[in-house]
Amino acid sequence: MLFGRTSKNPIKIADKAVVEWKYATCGYCSTGCSIEVGLNNAGKAVSSRGVADADVNRGKLCLKGIFEHELFDSAGRGKVPKYRKHWHDEWKTSDWDSTLDTTHDEIRRIQQTYGRDAFAIISTGQLLTEEFYTLGKLTRGLIGTNNYDGNTTLCMASAVSGYKRSFGSDGPPGCYEDFEHTDCLIAWGSNLPEQHPIIYWRMKEAQEKRGFPLIVVDPRVTMLAQFADIHLPITPGTDVVLQNSMMYVILDEGLQDTRYIEANTNGLEELRAEVSHYDPTTAAKICGIDEDTIRSVARLYANAEAAMQIWTMGINQSTHGSDGVVGINNLSLLCGNIGKPGGTSLSITGQCNAMGTREWSSCSGLPNYRQLENAQDRKDISEFWNIDEDFLPQKRGMFQTDIYHAIEAGLIKGLWLIATNPLSSLPNSERVRRAMQKLEFCVVQDCYEDTESAQYANVFLPAGTWAEKEGVMTNTERRINLINPIATPPGDAKADLWVFNQMAKRFNTDGKVSFPDKAADIFLEMASISKGRLADISGMSHALLEQHRGIQWPYTEQQLNDKQPPPQGGKRLYTEDGTFRYADGRAKLIPLPFIDNNEVPDEKFPIWLNTGRLIEHWHGRTKTGKIGNNNKYSPIPFVEINPDLAAELGIQRGEYIRLVSRRSDAVVMATPTHRVPKNMVFLPFHFHDCANRLTLGLLDPHSRQPAFKQSAIRIESLADQKAAARLSMEMRSF
Amino acid sequence: MFPKRHNEPGYALLSDALNATPAKTVNRYGTPIQTVKADDKRYNQSLNINNDQGIGENPDRYKQHGFYFNADNCIACHACEAACSEKNDNPAHIAFRSVGFVEGGTYPAYQRLNISMACNHCDDPVCLKGCPTRAYTKFAEYGAVLQDPDICFGCGYCTWVCPYNAPQLDPVKGQVSKCNMCVDRLEVGLKPACVAACLGNALDFGVTENIPQNRSQAKAEIPGFPRTDITHPNIRFQQTRTSQRDMTRVDQADVKYHRDEISGQYKPVLDPKHGKQRTWNLNKLLGSHENAHIAFTLSVQTVMGAFLMLLSGVWLAPLATLKSGPALLPALGLMLLMMGFGLFKLNMHLGKPHRFYRGFYNLRHSPVSREIAGVSAFFGGLLGYSFFALFDSTVAQLLQNLFGLLALTGAVLGGYFMYKLYRIEARPFWNHWYTGATFAATALVLGALLLALLALLLNALTPALNTTLLLLISAGLVLETVGLLGHARSLQAAASEGAASFYQQTTFYGKAYWSRNLLLALALLIAGSMLFFNSHNSIAYGLLAVSAIAVNILSRSLFYVVVIPTTMPGAFFWKNAGFVEHARETGLADMPQLGVVYERHHAFKLDELWETITTTSMKQKLDQLRRVFSG
Repeated sequence: MLFGRTSKNPIKIADKAVVEWKYATCGYCSTGCSIEVGLNNAGKAVSSRGVADADVNRGKLCLKGIFEHELFDSAGRGKVPKYRKHWHDEWKTSDWDSTLDTTHDEIRRIQQTYGRDAFAIISTGQLLTEEFYTLGKLTRGLIGTNNYDGNTTLCMASAVSGYKRSFGSDGPPGCYEDFEHTDCLIAWGSNLPEQHPIIYWRMKEAQEKRGFPLIVVDPRVTMLAQFADIHLPITPGTDVVLQNSMMYVILDEGLQDTRYIEANTNGLEELRAEVSHYDPTTAAKICGIDEDTIRSVARLYANAEAAMQIWTMGINQSTHGSDGVVGINNLSLLCGNIGKPGGTSLSITGQCNAMGTREWSSCSGLPNYRQLENAQDRKDISEFWNIDEDFLPQKRGMFQTDIYHAIEAGLIKGLWLIATNPLSSLPNSERVRRAMQKLEFCVVQDCYEDTESAQYANVFLPAGTWAEKEGVMTNTERRINLINPIATPPGDAKADLWVFNQMAKRFNTDGKVSFPDKAADIFLEMASISKGRLADISGMSHALLEQHRGIQWPYTEQQLNDKQPPPQGGKRLYTEDGTFRYADGRAKLIPLPFIDNNEVPDEKFPIWLNTGRLIEHWHGRTKTGKIGNNNKYSPIPFVEINPDLAAELGIQRGEYIRLVSRRSDAVVMATPTHRVPKNMVFLPFHFHDCANRLTLGLLDPHSRQPAFKQSAIRIESLADQKAAARLSMEMRSF
Repeated sequence: MFPKRHNEPGYALLSDALNATPAKTVNRYGTPIQTVKADDKRYNQSLNINNDQGIGENPDRYKQHGFYFNADNCIACHACEAACSEKNDNPAHIAFRSVGFVEGGTYPAYQRLNISMACNHCDDPVCLKGCPTRAYTKFAEYGAVLQDPDICFGCGYCTWVCPYNAPQLDPVKGQVSKCNMCVDRLEVGLKPACVAACLGNALDFGVTENIPQNRSQAKAEIPGFPRTDITHPNIRFQQTRTSQRDMTRVDQADVKYHRDEISGQYKPVLDPKHGKQRTWNLNKLLGSHENAHIAFTLSVQTVMGAFLMLLSGVWLAPLATLKSGPALLPALGLMLLMMGFGLFKLNMHLGKPHRFYRGFYNLRHSPVSREIAGVSAFFGGLLGYSFFALFDSTVAQLLQNLFGLLALTGAVLGGYFMYKLYRIEARPFWNHWYTGATFAATALVLGALLLALLALLLNALTPALNTTLLLLISAGLVLETVGLLGHARSLQAAASEGAASFYQQTTFYGKAYWSRNLLLALALLIAGSMLFFNSHNSIAYGLLAVSAIAVNILSRSLFYVVVIPTTMPGAFFWKNAGFVEHARETGLADMPQLGVVYERHHAFKLDELWETITTTSMKQKLDQLRRVFSG
């Protein structure tokens, strides 16, 4: 002690007395961080930390991961199955056998009365891959509805669709290691520091080592935009115009990689013809980026030895979402930036296991990127599952967004929601609410019983969450990683896999189809049907995944037998010429005509409504809204509004205001900031009864993903601030 | 020892040895970086962390360490805060580290500057000096300033004096806690948890003045960071991105930071975010959590004033008549009651009122300890003086005079330190001679008024006494007026948070402020007229009393509610005093996950006090007593 006292007191520092650390993969976003949860003497999860030798996160975690162990104890967890005849009756607690029997009987009743497809199943990107695979087998193989989709339609459908259109298959071709090799990075509608903080850190590490120009396309001055070398504050919904114009410059000035194009692509001339309409002078007037900047960015990108493009919801959640992805791929293909270190178009995925559902859930097709439209794929899978080949539809059914419109139209009468909450997450909540009320029978299977959609359920099935279960997930860079069961589900809640298997028993009366109980066995079954396919995982097993802190696919049985250990990272797709997934091995250069069909601000609704995510919250806030050390950074909904607009409307910092769209309204707190232009507000989408009361969500023609980010609103100031505060608080009761 | 993994990543390891630049021996404030020399008896001692007797092997153990913050890189991801709270097991409403921000510019040339801040383990820790209970220690090991919540009695004075919002007063537990520099991690060669968690490569840590690898600056200022001359903080910054000329705070404080064209440094200036409207807001003014301080200071100053006047009959003859007259005993009784009330209110506002006796522990450094000692001496003296006033013997007379002397000493010292403790550099609104003037004015006005009203009631108000007391009252009112004018002039010209305080005083509390000024003028007018006519008209006295008391209550309430500290900027919700207030008013704070808790009063736990008395040995008690003086 230098001063303060002449005798020293002992120091007390919190000690959580961890006796054991258990391995898992983080259950929040798609970065796929390896996490260790510390258990104390009583076996209670008390601490979380990043796994030091995991390639993805190298010991780091974001604030959500750091408190992930608190999930197990969080409020609102469902602990017992419940049933009620009508959604407006009181819940009655029940037991698993009778609720599952009822569910089975109701599904069959609806299918027999209204047709097989009148019962829909909507799943998620939150489950483990073995669970997705089992649910797919149950749905496609036994229940037999074609209206089966995941909430990934709300986040990744455009990326999936764009990859399929360009490369002939889904599957992001790049990896995080590309940051370490790239000479130019364009981020389209992606705010890594807030949405994918660990990927941002990997990018930052690479940038501090080598330095490369960062170009950010975003109408809002996000943290990433602020750190960009060039920020392009684009007019919402016009990305395709900017892309076309960049391609114009590249082709006009002959900056393309002709050898690559000739060896790997079809369609250059059609593309050239279309982009000829988008000279920078014309394009600048539409997309709001001046012509000089368009030219210099196009040159910077095309002249880079290896250039990389990443994107997230700014591209995907748009009426041109799929086109935007194709536009990014076009740029990559023109300059030979696919499959080489530092050259890629990498979709930064949303949910922790959005990739797992894309690969294995059979929502949009059949396991491992097989397609319903492909007779051989149908034959292979029906034989493998031991079902009648004709039982499989020959074309994929409705997307989640269309399923809701079909409920509204009375075509779908029953619904099974699994780990998703459309009443918060779909656009135009009021429309969703009305549809939900029309259902004859609705099952909600979730780890939380207080999800908003459970209001309209007849059956509630309490599920385990995250590391209360065992299985794998796939991350943005196609890395499959393991989750060990660290805690047990509370009360009578069960792992989703158990629920699917119990449900399968009721449909699988003749026992023809096999449903293994253990996730590790299911993984081996999946591995066996992945042989020789794009996502070949036949060399992997649960034990190997934990040992290597996750393995990027493909990793084949052959490699395993040849004693080739899986690489730590850096695995890419399409590294050889002519290996794209179209029959001729060539990728497509697809022309992208631009039609402006957005709800553009007008006199009555003069302000753009832009929605997005906050770092401290996860999606519908059901998880993070209950963890104080996450939730406290934004406990109530707020809107970023330009100070000049606020002044004009007489709105002060911290006042509640009312946002009104053509759908409904939302009461939020105003935070004036020049992050947004005067004709735009930014509203975080996490809060129930808020952003999605306003959104229109026009659907992308290819991916059926809603345009969450482009709606028009007007703003009303509120005289009675006390009443507004009360209303805002009541809306947070969920 | 902290369990270190065999494969801790490089970024988590202390890396001062890798620095290219030669290490300095003296820091920018002229303090040696080596805390103690190898032959010092404090060298190579165990930190005794959680009763572990081990001694860390860190080669830089006796060098002053500090955080390093690269303001170019912070993304406000909150990972540092989360890692800190996870490690220290802190509930949502407590944070040893917080990220706030300032912003500037116009879309799209907009800039937000995030600032992650914890304790700066200052060379001159004002928290340690201010703490009356001696809960703080600046260790020779790493130069860490650590606080022991088990010693703290929850007065919160350290939270007043610290310019960085480092000490955290927990309204639930009623005690302060703060950043412990993760000394347990330092002992095994690891950087603090927050630094290891940083995702922007912004936060770093090491021996102070060392510039980390791949960094080029070690500045001590960035926009939003308070001036360093108050405490000599051990934090260094890098900022190579140019900030906008004005960087504004997004919390409710009406402050922005403006770049000085010559020095290039940013200074706090007024940012009138809340308009010019003048409102009353009496509920907030009179219902604040600082009411205990209002009650304490007003009643103690009144009694001190009255008592000094009673004793000053030596010089002011008319007052001698009062001392020997029928009003003496009732006056003393009333004064004792008021003292008891003030002391009770003060003690019961503590987080741990049953630890009141610890208030003396830091006589060597703390003005609070000295104030408490002085006021206690005064109270003891007043008690003795009053008791012996009941007897009529020479011995009693002698004893009474002795106690009178004690009370006199206590009043002078206690009164002085009561003023001194508010001269806080980080609270510009208080750090002005007006604080002394208004305290003295209260003693004059209310002290004299108390005596005058009693004398009037007991028919002992002679014309001479009346004139003397009215003169004292008028002098007090003039002193308050002069003080207010001086204060207002100085605040309006201030480049500090004081200007924002003055703005808030004249707008948000504007009607109360102007009412106080009018009442002060009225009181002066009444007192002046009464003096002129030598009137002791009871209605006039009634009016004078009402207006003078109202002036004092309003003045003192404003004194506490409008003080805006020199501190770190908050965010929009988190660390925004405005949102905290809103959450408490609307009931949002009922949600435990909101991170806002209500202010509350804490019970006087007699059993805990009794346990301390019975389980502490006589030797320990004597040692403790010795350390009151030795430190």
